[in-house]
Amino acid sequence: MNETLPEGTLQLPPQWSTIAPEVDAMYYFIYWVSVVFTIAIFGAMVWFMWKYRRRPGVKSKQPGHATALEITWTFAPLILLVILFHEGFTGYVKGAVAPEDSLEVRVRGMQWNWEFEHRGGVIDDLNYLRVPVNTPVRLVMSSSDVLHSFFIPTMRVKRDVVPGMYSTLWFEATHRTPDITCESDEQCPEAMWCGKVPPGGTERKCSLPIFCTEYCGAPTGITASAFSEGGRNTNHSTMMGDLAVVTMEEYDAFIEEGPPPPPECESADDPAACWGENLHSNYCVACHSVDGVAQAPAPNWKGLYGNQRQFADGSSATADENYIRQSILQPQSQIVQGYSNVNMPPFRFSDRQLDAIIAYMRSLNE
Amino acid sequence: MTAEVAPQPHSSAHDESEGYLTHERGLKSWLFTLDHKRIGLMYLGSVLAAFLLGGIMALLVRTELLFPGETLMEADTYNQVFTLHGAIMVFLFIIPSVPAALGNFFLPIMLGTKDVAFPKLNLGSFYIYVLGTIFTLIAIIVGHVDTGWTFYTPYSARADSSVIWMTMGVFILGFSSILTGVNFIATVHKMRAPGLHWKRLPLFIWGIYATSIIQVLATPVLAITLFLLTMEKTLTVGIFDPALGGDPVLFQHFFWFYSHPAVYIMILPGMAVVNEVIATFSQRKIFGYMFVAMSSISLALLGFLVWGHHMFTAGMSEYATMVFSALTFLVAIPSGVKVFNWVATLYQGSISFASPMLYSLGFLALFTIGGLTGLFLGILSVDIHLHDTYFVVAHFHYVMVGGTVFGFISGLHYWWPKMTGKMYNETLAKIAFWFVFIGFNVTFFSQFIMGSQGMPRRYYDYLDQFQPLHMASSGGAYILGVGFLIMLFMFIKSLMSGEKAPPNPWASAGYEWLTTTPVHPHNFAEPPVMTRGPYDYHLCTEEELWDGFPEDFEKQAEKA
Ligand code: HEC
Ligand SMILES: [Cu+2]
Ligand SMILES: [Cu+2]
Repeated sequence: MNETLPEGTLQLPPQWSTIAPEVDAMYYFIYWVSVVFTIAIFGAMVWFMWKYRRRPGVKSKQPGHATALEITWTFAPLILLVILFHEGFTGYVKGAVAPEDSLEVRVRGMQWNWEFEHRGGVIDDLNYLRVPVNTPVRLVMSSSDVLHSFFIPTMRVKRDVVPGMYSTLWFEATHRTPDITCESDEQCPEAMWCGKVPPGGTERKCSLPIFCTEYCGAPTGITASAFSEGGRNTNHSTMMGDLAVVTMEEYDAFIEEGPPPPPECESADDPAACWGENLHSNYCVACHSVDGVAQAPAPNWKGLYGNQRQFADGSSATADENYIRQSILQPQSQIVQGYSNVNMPPFRFSDRQLDAIIAYMRSLNE
Repeated sequence: MTAEVAPQPHSSAHDESEGYLTHERGLKSWLFTLDHKRIGLMYLGSVLAAFLLGGIMALLVRTELLFPGETLMEADTYNQVFTLHGAIMVFLFIIPSVPAALGNFFLPIMLGTKDVAFPKLNLGSFYIYVLGTIFTLIAIIVGHVDTGWTFYTPYSARADSSVIWMTMGVFILGFSSILTGVNFIATVHKMRAPGLHWKRLPLFIWGIYATSIIQVLATPVLAITLFLLTMEKTLTVGIFDPALGGDPVLFQHFFWFYSHPAVYIMILPGMAVVNEVIATFSQRKIFGYMFVAMSSISLALLGFLVWGHHMFTAGMSEYATMVFSALTFLVAIPSGVKVFNWVATLYQGSISFASPMLYSLGFLALFTIGGLTGLFLGILSVDIHLHDTYFVVAHFHYVMVGGTVFGFISGLHYWWPKMTGKMYNETLAKIAFWFVFIGFNVTFFSQFIMGSQGMPRRYYDYLDQFQPLHMASSGGAYILGVGFLIMLFMFIKSLMSGEKAPPNPWASAGYEWLTTTPVHPHNFAEPPVMTRGPYDYHLCTEEELWDGFPEDFEKQAEKA
């Protein structure tokens, strides 16, 4: 059942995308050009070094004029360079312009995680990107803090992710990633790593690594690798993600249902509230506390549900399901009084996720 | 004007018959000296100290990367260490290494003149360099600089305030470069000895001259950029930080508008040294002299037009990307011309493999690899894959270390006898060379493979699959380190107990070997008149190419 996976070479990782063969062909072309030049130059050097080593009684000869030779080796390489440039540029344009019918995925880089939002506002688990096989996928990327760069070696794509602007890249994966459970990288096929537990799963799976290649710092006190532990990344060198290539059917099913609840919530007393708590600790805990004590920088969630809200523009409303839903999807539509100096970013959750958050808020009031 | 210089009688009290090292004594005679040779030596001391510091940082980096996860230090410390490694090596060591240290010492001697055009300005530049170094050291000691030597915004705009100290330090160092550049340009134009017309100018001077042009034109841009960054940080004016309404990519344009030409500020002087060494140890004029000289100038000018090749993934327009890629390929032409001509110089030479020559031949080999791997990065589609990986790290180390540092060390060995008046132990020097050469290749060749396999740079931690290559790279770094320690020992030993050096130990036709050793305080007892080119071995008398002491030559002549 395992279709054969692409294999890499000593120099380049396996080719997982449609553009990879072209990029590699260019790479090997210039590689062989370099090898020829290196052998020619080193060969001449070594030969002269041997032949004209200093010997008693043998004097050096002074060079005469060799203008023809000089002009030849000044301009002959130009032809080669023009070819290199032309091939490289056409390849680049192909990689830069996405096909019309590409599927779009929004990517948000932040210190030190990647967030992926799919069609219909479905946000997948943090650092987990799934794409359908044999379909061009266009990533529209932005950063909420510093520079990052999105890099998938097996797809031969890379693009800086810049705050204050959108950048895009596209690729078309040619193989589905096999379902292999793992505990360490060695158990995974070439150029794959043992990624995190996929959303809704219970065991870690091999996936294609996504790297951040623009330096983005680290907080103090980070010592151990976060790779094997899953969860949130801690610094530039662990700002990685999992790329899972799935079939179109699997992808569509995922979009229909949104990301599944974490498996540990299935057996919880209140599965919805458990999921909501999980979402809170992934996305909201930085600003919102839930203990009813701490206030800044955002309203406390304890006692929020059903409460009367006072807004900065003087109006007011009751915090019911619809209000909370809107506060999450469009936070700027009404600003709670006293909190106008921090901007809450909009979150796009599936209906099931929103229900889970509301269930969690309600459970805080009990 | 210079043609009319006549020997001038000296009324000063100090003893003229001694060399420049001893004719005046005491700390003050060094700190306030206007002698370009002493200033050169003070630079040499400082850049070597910087090299040692940067080298220790490099070894810390490589040790941390021996294994994934924590080996020596935490992530944040690692980020500071690699930042310091880069910043110290680039700004405190490589940029001033050849021009400020060796250039200061030899440029006036090779021009047959007494000093640079503006001796006081020269001393001033040195103290500006010291001031810049102090700022940088303060940033290192009290601060927390973890931005990488590129100081990319908005990360640097939000980082700790010691980044301001660091950028101020680099800002000040920039002025030192500019002033030295101006001084050298003026000296080359105005102070050449009679008979030293442009077609006889030693290629070392051509290289330093081209470098000075870039320093004067490009460094102000760096200064402005760092100044704007400082303004942004202290006064929160939005320039580069999008949170304040700035544009982070603008910073990259500014930064590389300086830093690409700076690559030539770093490599041209290395090439300049290699010219002299290859000519001397092949006993032959550099093949295609005028083409080599002009290739330096065209590198200097082309270097201004290609900065965008550092930003192919940053989101420039497709057209800008295309133009930068095309121009980048053009840079290969003058670089190739140099390599071909050096190899052709060996042809029909009389080649000696003394230690300076070994380093220059090493330069030739490593620079060829460094240059060719640059082509990979110029090809747009391939660069997308390789950008910001270890492939780039390996490429620029081949150019900067294999090129500039090998050139600098070659020059250091070559001119050591002239500067210190002492010979060194050639066997030790050769042993050190092999350690350095092999260690270097092990360290950085493995990084090419790591990089093309996808290992990103500036990573504290990495996937297990890269571990063997990281291990090899670190092992190479230790071999390299041992090589430099042997070299250090060898030079110290030479200072303490080296044999007295004859005036022209390498039998060179170069002008700087015409004067006495140790060098006369005014370079030449009599202002020289140049009657032949610096590589005209066929026009030299036997006495000029005598590699022993002048007394012995007379004895030899009598015998014959
Ligand atoms: C960057 C900080 C920040 C993050 C992260 C954040 N919020 Fe907020 N949130 C705020 C601020 C500030 C307010 C009050 C201003 C306003 O109403 O927009 C707020 C208000 C709200 C309100 C209305 C509260 C009230 O008192 O009426 C809800 C509901 C809410 N957030 C839900 C969420 C959820 C769910 C998440 C996580 C998915 C989240 N927030 C993440 C800053 C944040
Ligand atoms: Cu990042
Ligand atoms: Cu460059």
